[in-house]
Amino acid sequence: MRRAIRIPNLGGARAVILHRPHPTVTALIRQLTAIGVDVAQAWPELGPDVIGADYVFFDADMGHDGMFPWPEGQPPMPMIALIGSEAPGRIEWSLRAGAHAQLLKPVGDNGAYSALLIARDAFDAQKALFAEILDLKRRLDGRQTVVRAVTLLAGRGKSEEEAYAQLRQMAMAWRISFEDAASRIVASRDAASSRPQEAGHGRHNG
Amino acid sequence: MKRRVEIGLLYSRSGSYSLISAACRAGAMMAIAELNADPDSDVSFVPVERDPGGNVDLYGPLCEEILQETTARHVIGCVTSSSRKEVIPTLERFGGTLWYAVPYEGFEASDHVVYTHACPNQHLLPLLDWVMPQYGRRAYLTGSNYIWGWEMNRLARERITQAGGDIAGERYLPIGSRDVGRMIDEIRFSRPDFILNSLIGPSSYEFLAAFRVLGTEDSHFHPSHCPVLSCNLTECELPAIGPAAEGLVAAGPYFRGVDGWPDSARPGAARFGSSHEAAAFTAVFELARLLKGRPGTEELSIAQLLSEDRRAGGIVDPETHHTVLPAIIARVEGGAFRVLHRRDRVAGDPYLTRGAQTSAAPYLRVVS
Repeated sequence: MRRAIRIPNLGGARAVILHRPHPTVTALIRQLTAIGVDVAQAWPELGPDVIGADYVFFDADMGHDGMFPWPEGQPPMPMIALIGSEAPGRIEWSLRAGAHAQLLKPVGDNGAYSALLIARDAFDAQKALFAEILDLKRRLDGRQTVVRAVTLLAGRGKSEEEAYAQLRQMAMAWRISFEDAASRIVASRDAASSRPQEAGHGRHNG
Repeated sequence: MKRRVEIGLLYSRSGSYSLISAACRAGAMMAIAELNADPDSDVSFVPVERDPGGNVDLYGPLCEEILQETTARHVIGCVTSSSRKEVIPTLERFGGTLWYAVPYEGFEASDHVVYTHACPNQHLLPLLDWVMPQYGRRAYLTGSNYIWGWEMNRLARERITQAGGDIAGERYLPIGSRDVGRMIDEIRFSRPDFILNSLIGPSSYEFLAAFRVLGTEDSHFHPSHCPVLSCNLTECELPAIGPAAEGLVAAGPYFRGVDGWPDSARPGAARFGSSHEAAAFTAVFELARLLKGRPGTEELSIAQLLSEDRRAGGIVDPETHHTVLPAIIARVEGGAFRVLHRRDRVAGDPYLTRGAQTSAAPYLRVVS
């Protein structure tokens, strides 16, 4: 399902423009200042303060790998590509760098506001999807544990279905996820089965 | 000897918003006449007029005609936001400037436009902050089917729901349509606390007439109980509305006879017929102030004019090209506006990012 669109309040937001001094940068700074965004320009390297920026505009024409102080394609803020040459290789690079929106050069009187809003929305959507995928992956990884837990519970004379229902009740009682409840059961069984061995160790060494 | 400087006028003399155009044009012409007669002014403006006749597709070509066929670089004109959006690419291409003298929905700060009337933090937001504590927070939103109505209602919806209120209904009419029956029916059934009217021209006149009838049938809809609010209604349209305007509450930077209008020529002058007239007058006067004593500057872009302006009395913010205006709320009583509330010196904040808007009083809701 689509999330609600949020119109961010851009007052006091910080943007960094990674581009050499150029009329396009002047025009972009004018637009962003009119919008109420604080702007800093940097080239050829981003300063350490970029980590605190809310938006990054970057030159897609002269940009290259290793410009950004974060893993490739994983910017911690929305990124907007400033595209002059629409060569497929440059667009490919911009996308790989993590562009969420673009502005065509030469930048003139408008375009910055919609780029900010579209980039923010795409960034938020991407972040929400990543979080959801991570959660699903974690649950997928826990599937084997669930099977083990159900088998353990079923081993006490319950049907598989009853064991499953019991596990669900335990998760609810402990207020943890189904998968976490399963791993707790498996862990306690593992601990129980390894205890005599540990005790044996203790005797030998103590 | 005065310098003759051509100045464009781009107002529709016919069509659905011609009363507003006429008021703006009157303000611009009054300013031109006064400046030309003023021995202290070294500029003599020569108006170059084009009439798009209310057709939105003629604004771009006619603006181009002014900038191409005459020496005018500055154009006073446009009423609807759609027409303003149409001329901006032309202004950009030929280095022209539009002086826009009408309230609009904000979220724009073109380097080629000067906005001498109010944007939402100067009209809509103060109006909502005024109405909700007194009348309630349940709103019905109307509008003409274009950017002004859509964006005003989006902003109103956001502000009202943030304040814990709700939207009883929202409906639009094509520009020029008089088909208000369904709106009135929805209002009758949903019983809002107030109505935000962002209709323009004949749609608005028809709506107000029908709402007045509704008020006589059901006292809930008497203006003293359920007011109609407007951010673009001024004295120039009152004759077209007649008694149906009684009780209507409008927000604006000026109402006839009110002091405080930032008139660079005569501070505090209270002589304009409406804020449309005042805003167009001021546009021409501010341009004259920027050009005064500096031959050749009529060729410069507005950005250059503003950045080189070292003299006192400037009214245009060089960052946003908006102005500082009073935010006045007034009610139509006996055919004229009576001021109910005012805030002086509210800076135009087109993107609502400068915190200049009146902050809504926090409303707390009892959750059971």
